[in-house]
Amino acid sequence: MNGTTLAASLLVMLTPLAAVAAEEVIPLPRGWIGTTGQWLRGLGIVFGLLNLALLAVAWRTLHRSGLTPIARGWLLVAVGLVPMMVAFLSFAHGLESSATVDSCGSCHVMTPLVADLRNPQSTTLAATHFKNRYIQENHCYTCHSDYGLGGTLAAKMGGLGHVWRYTTGSYTQPIKIAHPYPNLRCLGCHGTSQKFQNSPGHLKEMMPSMLDNTIPCLTCHGPAHPAAKQAASR
Amino acid sequence: MTAHPPRVRALKLAILLTAVFDVMALVVLVRSLPIGFTIYMFLGQPLFLVALVLLAGAVLADLRTKELL
Repeated sequence: MNGTTLAASLLVMLTPLAAVAAEEVIPLPRGWIGTTGQWLRGLGIVFGLLNLALLAVAWRTLHRSGLTPIARGWLLVAVGLVPMMVAFLSFAHGLESSATVDSCGSCHVMTPLVADLRNPQSTTLAATHFKNRYIQENHCYTCHSDYGLGGTLAAKMGGLGHVWRYTTGSYTQPIKIAHPYPNLRCLGCHGTSQKFQNSPGHLKEMMPSMLDNTIPCLTCHGPAHPAAKQAASR
Repeated sequence: MTAHPPRVRALKLAILLTAVFDVMALVVLVRSLPIGFTIYMFLGQPLFLVALVLLAGAVLADLRTKELL
C-alpha cells in the first residue's frame, strides 16, 4: 500500500464525507487525497484525542508529584499548545460545515425546502440551480449570503439568530424570508454572463431597475422555493 | 514539593476546563450541527480561555516566587 492509498484509506475511515464522495458516479481524480476540509476535520479529531490523553497525563503528574518541572512541561503542552490546534481546526471545520445544505436542513422547519431543493422533478428556482449544479456546493448559503467578507459576517450573524429562534421556538410557521431577496445576489453570478446579457428579457434599459430591486428577478424566475410557490398560486 | 496548593488546584481546574472544551470540540468535529457549533463557540471556547488565564497566572506566580519577574 503506497502513501497515497494509505492517506485515502485514513480519510475514508475518518470522514463520512469521503465515503459519500466514493459513492458518486463520477470517479475521483487519480491520486485523490481528500479535500482541505476533510484533512482539517481528520487532523482535528487526531489532535483532540491526543489532547485528552495529554490532559490525563498532566493531571496524573500534577496530582502525584505536584508542580514539578515535568508537570509544568505537560501542562504547557496539554493546556497551552495542543488545545490551540484543536481550537483552530474545530472552529475552521465548524464554520465550514455550517454553510452546507445538510447544516441548513438539520432544523426540521427547513426539511420541505431542502427536500424540494434535492428533488430532480421540482421546477423551483432553487431546485433548478441544485440539479444542474449551477452552484457546486453550499447551495443554501451561496444564494442566501452577500458577496465578500461583509456578506459572510452578516450571514453568520443571521445564522446565530436562526439557531436562537429555532432553539427557543420563537418563530412562526410558515417561515418566510426576512427581507426582500436582493437581485445583486443573482447578478453577482449571472450579471456578466453572455446568456444573461444576450437574453431578450434582460434589456440594457432594465438594468438600473434590476440593480435597485424595482424589478425583482423572482418576478419572472420565481418561485424560489415551494412555500413561495404555494403563496404565488393563491 | 514546593508548589502552593491553591496554584495546583487552579491548574487542576484548568485541566478540567480544557478537557470539557476538548470534548465539545470533538463533538463539533465528529458531527457538526448548528446548535452544537453555537454552544461550542459561546461556551467551549471561553472555557478554554479561562483555562489559559489560569495557566498564565500560575506561570507568572511561579516566576515571581523564583524572583525571575
